Amino acid sequence: MMKGYEIISALSNHLSENDIIVSSNGNISREAYNLLPKPQVYLRGSMGLPIPVGLGLALANPNKRITVITGDGNFLMGLGSATTAAFYKPKNLKILILDNLKYYTTGGQKTVSSVIDYVKFLESLCIEYKCSKRASQDEIEQDLSEFINSEVFSVLHLTIKEGKKDLMNIPDQPEEITEKMILRLTKLA
Amino acid sequence: MIDPSEFITFLEKKFQYICGVPCSYFKEFLAHLASHGTETQLKHVYATREDEAIGIASGVAFSGKKALVYMQNSGIGNIGDALTSLAQLYKLPMLILISYRGLEPDNDFPEHSIMGEVNEPVLKAFKVPYWNLSEDRWTIEMKAAIQKMTETSSPVVLLVKKGVLCQ
Repeated sequence: MMKGYEIISALSNHLSENDIIVSSNGNISREAYNLLPKPQVYLRGSMGLPIPVGLGLALANPNKRITVITGDGNFLMGLGSATTAAFYKPKNLKILILDNLKYYTTGGQKTVSSVIDYVKFLESLCIEYKCSKRASQDEIEQDLSEFINSEVFSVLHLTIKEGKKDLMNIPDQPEEITEKMILRLTKLA
Repeated sequence: MIDPSEFITFLEKKFQYICGVPCSYFKEFLAHLASHGTETQLKHVYATREDEAIGIASGVAFSGKKALVYMQNSGIGNIGDALTSLAQLYKLPMLILISYRGLEPDNDFPEHSIMGEVNEPVLKAFKVPYWNLSEDRWTIEMKAAIQKMTETSSPVVLLVKKGVLCQ
């Protein structure tokens, strides 16, 4: 089984100029900042809100591809947003759930994620592209490629192993993160 | 009541999206929006929670566009983190319409009485500038709120009492 930062690192092989990443607070944002092309939307707080932020970006930028990276604790806190996103199902919105069954950033306390059968849950939302599996080194490139290149609203749920890399904190102030993103999204293509 | 059609015409010049959780105080306004959805430039997004609506408006603001958010004042209890660690922290402008329930003692709706009392102190504590929206002076109040939102690149609130956007 892979660790979260290994998956985020592998994701960089599949991104182009056209991709915007929304990363969720804690380790995931730090990993996205250090391992993916910059700038992206790095959330520092607002637990439970990366999917709504991604949905707003996807609706406002139909020609960009928006990928939300969230952990299981964050996903569960904003579970209603899975239904909102599935209701609007923008084809340029992708949700990647990295599930270690823990609030890992705060010290590895348990979440209740293990009760969910993600295949059935995503099936019930009528999401056209959904996949739930253990993240494995042999299959990750193909899994990420299928997920991100599907022409429909997509959700990929990966069970991962805990583990983090020593990475620097995000040096950009939140205001700078906003300024860089607005510049990126409003400049003439 | 403010004419819903005039109100929406005013809004669509300043905002591209509208998102929120309803209150009966917005009944006529939201009904007009629903029945004239194809004519208006405002794209409507339904939210499951008030903090989700702030999140969606934040995604719109990260794109250099603007969203209007609406909610009942009970939702103030749900948006603290969305304001302080997202919309305010990242300087994301948005206009939030909040119905002002529980203003007067109302034995039928005790669920609004405490929030009615603490509504304004809570907004002050969160350092969110707010105005009251009135039937007579609504364009002036809207313009003042939008000017502050633009100058500070941050969320601002308009409080909406009974009868202003509903009959």
